[in-house]
Amino acid sequence: MAEFSTTKLEPDSHLLLDQPLLRLPNELLRKNLKSAQRQIEMTNKNVTSAIQASTNQSPAETLASLDSTLAKAQNLKRKLEALQIEENALHKQQKSRIQHLQELHEIPSLADVKYDHWSHTRLDRLLVDYLLRQGYTESAKELAREKDIDYLVDVNVFEESGKIEKSLREGKMQDCLTWCVENKQALKKIDSNLESELRLQQFIELARSGEMKQRLEAMVYARKHLAGGQDPKFALQAAGLLAQSPDTHVEPYRTMFSPTRYTEIAQTFLRTHHELFALPSQPLLYIALSAGLSALKTPACHSEYALQPSTLTGAPVCPICSTELNELARNVPYAHHTKSFMEEDPVVLPNGRVFGRERLRVLNEKIGTEKGWVRDPTNQGDGVWEVGAESVKKVFIS
Amino acid sequence: MESISAAHQTLEKKANLDRTLTDVQALIDQLQRTRDAVAETPELTAMHVAKLKQPVKASFDKIEESLKDVNKGLNQYQKALKEKFKNAQLPTASNEVLGGENGLVNRAIAMHLLREGKFGVARTFVREVNESQEQQYQQDRGLNGNPAANDGWIQEFADTDAMIMEMESEGKLELREDGEVLDGKGHLQKKFTEMYHILEALRSQHNLSPAIAWARENSTELENRGSNLEFELSRLKFVELYTSSEETMSEDSMTGPLRALEYAQAVFPTFSGRYSREMSNLLGSLAYSSGLDESPYKTLFFNQHPWEDVATSFTREFCSMLGLSSTSPLYTAVTAGGIALPILEKVERVMAASRGQWTSVNELPVETPLPPEMLFHSIFVCPVSKEQATDDNPPMMLPCGHVIAEQSLHMHSRGKNRMKCPYCPNESDPKMARRVYI
Repeated sequence: MAEFSTTKLEPDSHLLLDQPLLRLPNELLRKNLKSAQRQIEMTNKNVTSAIQASTNQSPAETLASLDSTLAKAQNLKRKLEALQIEENALHKQQKSRIQHLQELHEIPSLADVKYDHWSHTRLDRLLVDYLLRQGYTESAKELAREKDIDYLVDVNVFEESGKIEKSLREGKMQDCLTWCVENKQALKKIDSNLESELRLQQFIELARSGEMKQRLEAMVYARKHLAGGQDPKFALQAAGLLAQSPDTHVEPYRTMFSPTRYTEIAQTFLRTHHELFALPSQPLLYIALSAGLSALKTPACHSEYALQPSTLTGAPVCPICSTELNELARNVPYAHHTKSFMEEDPVVLPNGRVFGRERLRVLNEKIGTEKGWVRDPTNQGDGVWEVGAESVKKVFIS
Repeated sequence: MESISAAHQTLEKKANLDRTLTDVQALIDQLQRTRDAVAETPELTAMHVAKLKQPVKASFDKIEESLKDVNKGLNQYQKALKEKFKNAQLPTASNEVLGGENGLVNRAIAMHLLREGKFGVARTFVREVNESQEQQYQQDRGLNGNPAANDGWIQEFADTDAMIMEMESEGKLELREDGEVLDGKGHLQKKFTEMYHILEALRSQHNLSPAIAWARENSTELENRGSNLEFELSRLKFVELYTSSEETMSEDSMTGPLRALEYAQAVFPTFSGRYSREMSNLLGSLAYSSGLDESPYKTLFFNQHPWEDVATSFTREFCSMLGLSSTSPLYTAVTAGGIALPILEKVERVMAASRGQWTSVNELPVETPLPPEMLFHSIFVCPVSKEQATDDNPPMMLPCGHVIAEQSLHMHSRGKNRMKCPYCPNESDPKMARRVYI
C-alpha cells in the first residue's frame, strides 16, 4: 500500500505550477477586449457628434462629413479585425493549454511512462520561462522551437516587458510611459504608483540639468503631472528637489538624483507587469527546483562519509550528489523522514559499512570475490581487504 | 477541468468579437446608405440625417452589448479557474535561497542542455549569459568601479562554440587518442558531446565501434568499478556479426558465424575470468549456427531491445565516471518538486493561518513522500529520538546489533559505563558502541 500512496497522482493539486498557463491568456483576452472597447467608444463619440453637427450643415458639407464618418467606421472595423485575429490566436493557445493539462488528468499514476513525458514537457516549459525572465530570449526561443512547445510559453509577453525593462535601465522612459497609458485602467485598479514614479523621474531629469530654462520647465511639468491627486509629500519632495544641485549630499534628494533609481523603476515595472498579467513574481523554476532539491536531499548528500558514486554500489547516482546540483542544494533544507529506509536484511561489515545482504552478495559476485570471502564493494585501490563471511554481522535498524 | 473547458468553449463559440464585427459592418452599411441617399437627393439631406441618428445609436448600443457578452464569458472562465485553483497559492518561503544562486542555476541548465544533446541551444545560452555578464560588468564598473567577479562556470564552457563548430564541420566527433588530456577548460561539454555522439551511433545507426573504442580506452577504470559494459558491448558485437549473414546471404551462410568466431578469438581472451561462463556459452552457440532458433542458446540472441539496453548502461557508466547521475538531475529535481509542492504549499497555508513558525531551518517541516525510484540514499531515523542521523549525530551500533543515534546514546547512558539496549535486554558499555555507515 505504501507504494501505491507515493505514486498516486492527484492532478488537481499537481497543477500548482501550471495555473499561470491558463491565467495569462485570459488576462491577455481581457486586455484585447479593453482595446476593442476603447476603439468603439472613441468612434462612437466621433460619429455621434459628427451626425449631430451635420443637422445644420449644407448638403455638400454633410456629404463630406458622412464620408469622413464612414472612413472612421471602416477604420474601426479594421482595428477590430486585427483584435479578432489576436483573439483567435489566444483562444487557440488557450485550447492547447487546457488540452495539455487535461492530459495530466488522464495519467493514472506517477509511475506511468506518460507522466515521465508530461513532466519532461513541464521542465522545458519552466526552463523557457526562466530563460525569458533572465533576458536570455534567443535561448528561450530556440529551446521552445526545438521542443515544439511554443503554445505553452509566452515569448511575446516577456519579450515586450523585457524590452521596456531594458530601456528603463538605460534611462529611457518613453516605452514604459506608453505602456502605462495602454494599461491605465488596469493600473488604477491595482493602485499602482508606477506612472507617478516615472513622472517624478522625468521631473528629476529636468531638474538635474540645472539650467534656468529647464528648471522652469520642470516646474511646469510638476504642476501638470505631479500635483494632482496623490500623496502631497510626493509633490513637496519634488519641489524641494529644485532647490538642490545634483551633487547634493542631503537626503532624500541625493537618492533621488542617483542613477540607481532607474534600476528601482525597472524592478517596479516588472513587478507591476507580472501582477497585471497574473504571472508569478519568481521564475517557476526556482519554486519547483527548491521544493525538489529539498524533497530529494538527505543528510548524506553533503556528508563526507557518503558512499561515493560508483557502479560498485549498484545504485544510480543521486541527483543531489551529482555535480550539477550539489552546490546549489547546499543551503536548502533536507527532506523530513519519520521512518528509516533500508534495504532488506541489513548487515554490517567490520569497517562499519552497512549493506543489504542480498546486494552485498550480488556485488561481491560481480567483483569476483571467492566463495566464503566478502569484500566491501566501495573499497578500491590499495587498501582492498577481504574478510571471511563469518565477520559479516546482522544489524538491527528500525 | 470540465468547467474550464466549458467556459473556454463559450469563449470560442459565443463570447468573441465575431458578433461585434457583424454589428460594425451593419453600422457601416447604414452610413453608406445614408451617404448614397444624400448624394442622390441633396434636397432631403436634413431628413436623411435625422433618420440616421436613431439607428446609429441603436447600432452602437448593440455593439456595446456584444462586448458585454465577451466580458461575461471572460468572467466565467476566470471563475472556473478560481474554483479549480482555489487552494493553490504558490509557496514563497523557500525560493529566496535560489534567487542568489543565479550562476549555479545557469550552470545546471547549461549542463542539462548538453546532456539532452541540445548543443545549439546550449551554445546560444552560454553566449547570452556571457553577454549579459559583460554588460553587468561594464555597468558595475561605471557605477562604483568595483565590478562583481564573473561566474567561474562560464569558463568551463568557454570553448563550447569552437568545439561544436568543429564537430559540425566534421560531421562527427573524433575519438581522440589522448582522451585523458581533455581537461580544464571545456572539459565537461567535450565529455558530453562525446557521450552524445557515441549514443547517436548506438541508437540510430546501430554502430558499436565508438562505444567499444571508448570502453577499451577506459578499460581499467571500468574493470575497477566492476562494470560489465565492455563485455556487454563485445557480446553485442559478437551477436551482430553472428546474425549478420542471415540478412546478407553472400557466398555462404558460414561467413557470419565465422566472423563472429574470428572476433571472439581476437577479443575474448582480454576479458577477465568472471565472464568465462558467458564466453563459453557464446562460443558454444557456434555449433548451432544453422538452427539457432531451436538451440539452447536462443536467449543469447533474441533480446528485444539490445541497443536500448546497451545505450542505457553506457550512459550510466559514462555519467557515473564523471560523478554525474544518468538521468538529468534537473529533470529529477523539478519532477520531485512538482510532487512535493502541493504538500509544502499546504503547510505554508496552515502555518500562515495559525501564525506558526517553522524553526528547524535544516529540515523540511513535513514528509514529502516521493516514488520509490526517487529514493537514492538509505535513510536512518533514530528510533529513540526520531531524528535523522547526520555527520554530527551519526548512527551508532550497540554490541547487540541495534542502532541508535549518537546523541540518543549519550542521553540514554547518562555518562555511566553500563547501559541497557533500549530494544533488547542486552547490557553493554556505551564505549562499545561503534559508528556505522549507512
